[in-house]
Amino acid sequence: MSKVTTLREAVAAHVKPGDTIFLSGAQHAEPTAAIHEIIRQRIDRLTLISVLTETVALLIGTGSLERVLTGWMIQDERSAALIRAKQMGKLPEFVEYSHFGISLALLAGQMGVPFLPALTQIGSDLMKYNPHLGTVRCPFTERQVGAVQAVTPDVGIIHVQRCDAEGNAQKWGSLGVDREGINASRTVVVTTERLVDTDVIRREPNLTIIPAFRVSAVVEVPFGAYPMHLAGCYNEDIWGWRREIMGAEAFERYLEEFVYGVRNWEEYLEKRKALKGADYLDGLLLKDAVLSDPLPSGY
Amino acid sequence: MNSDGDALGNSDTNQMVVSAARLIRDDDVCYVGVGLPTLACLLAKHTHAPNLTVLTENGVVRTGLFPLPRATDTLSMQTLADQLSGLFYVSCLGQAGFVTIGFLGAGQIDRFGNANDTAAGDYLQPTHRWPGSGGGNDVASFCQRTIYILRQSKRRFPEHVDFITCPGYLDGRPGRREQLGLRAGTGPTAVITNLGVYGFEDGEIVLKSIHAQAGVTLAQVKAEVGWDLKVSPDLCETEPPRDEEMRILREQVDPAGLWAGGRRARM
Repeated sequence: MSKVTTLREAVAAHVKPGDTIFLSGAQHAEPTAAIHEIIRQRIDRLTLISVLTETVALLIGTGSLERVLTGWMIQDERSAALIRAKQMGKLPEFVEYSHFGISLALLAGQMGVPFLPALTQIGSDLMKYNPHLGTVRCPFTERQVGAVQAVTPDVGIIHVQRCDAEGNAQKWGSLGVDREGINASRTVVVTTERLVDTDVIRREPNLTIIPAFRVSAVVEVPFGAYPMHLAGCYNEDIWGWRREIMGAEAFERYLEEFVYGVRNWEEYLEKRKALKGADYLDGLLLKDAVLSDPLPSGY
Repeated sequence: MNSDGDALGNSDTNQMVVSAARLIRDDDVCYVGVGLPTLACLLAKHTHAPNLTVLTENGVVRTGLFPLPRATDTLSMQTLADQLSGLFYVSCLGQAGFVTIGFLGAGQIDRFGNANDTAAGDYLQPTHRWPGSGGGNDVASFCQRTIYILRQSKRRFPEHVDFITCPGYLDGRPGRREQLGLRAGTGPTAVITNLGVYGFEDGEIVLKSIHAQAGVTLAQVKAEVGWDLKVSPDLCETEPPRDEEMRILREQVDPAGLWAGGRRARM
């Protein structure tokens, strides 16, 4: 059964105010298009699980977040996003982990267990302020170890290189916390660079990061991770993008122009080209692609 | 992980990179963040440690050389890696004891090697916020040798950090790390600053060498530490960067000049 839909419909149907959401792409291919759509639909009071997602600044600055579970987040007094959130009275609460701690919370969610033991965070003051971190005595050795409570996001959104209409999603390259995060999520939305035939998926099934029966919506979104990079597809322009949202005025202008001022990602990309030149996006494509040897399967 | 905005061409930054590279061994498995640690790893790989295995927290495992990356995860860092995994996998390598060395920056570091990357002042009413642990706490918890690289000032070297993000030797009592459940045989082993190089004895920072040829004095080092600093009886002068090391940094590690020229160009 095809689950192909539009980004507007996928977000409207699956992301609700007050939800806990996971966004994939810790430094590699965030679902940027979906993040813009969430803001455009003014979905708020969200709890976000974020590992190094860059464009999350937009969610903070629009007051869309109530809480952020994170390991690393710019909380500098000078951040335009934080200042704007504060002015709106919508500064999110930050619940802080180490990065491994977050990955364990998500893995516990994926595994369906209430917590996982860990030898991390136990020596730190993170333990004092994060109620989801604790210690536990090993039942076998009596030794004390750390414990991280499971998190199960209501909805997870991942951007991948390819996916079939049913939702078998394939991502390659460095995976950050994508595997744990998307598999911990109760409802899954996939945005994909390219929709492919199921046959393409089945000839390389090791690459499937989540299978169709776990996926609720599939949206084809070329350049859906821009301005981040996506392995095998395009390079980032994150340095240029960061400058565009730096400072209160610039942040405001970006929101007006590129979030609220467009109806969808196609219009967004057209506007980016209008701003930066017709060949701007083509310039981000791989210049020197490395191809793997085909892997045989069959019997 | 370094947030000091240092750049090659600035002589004390060169010294920090070179001193860090010299602590890397050929058979090390190194957890590396962007910035000075990457420069140090590449310098080591181009010189005495060609077999060094480099791990990034996003899941890259590689032994081949790579162009100096502008961020922790880049396509050039991923391309032709030995293995691409994820943060969980790489962290497990550390937790299970297979990561020998890790480099970290820090907002503050204290007498017992505890580092603060979280908040200056009270956590709930901070006077300044750093971005938080990231993988820092994990590196400091897991690596056999954790090495800090940061610029030194009295404010950044208090006797006790305001917030322990990355555990060092905690209150300095022997066995305290293990008692809390941290893996035995781990902890900070060196701190490299723009003034000197430090080691640890009985859980406490000890000054090992001073960048004397760059004009640094013992009095200057002591003035930028917030406690009565222990000085090694074998205190020596730091060996300055050799011409060959500088040539390799300029020509092979950073030919595009991302770090050269006295500013941190678009890093």
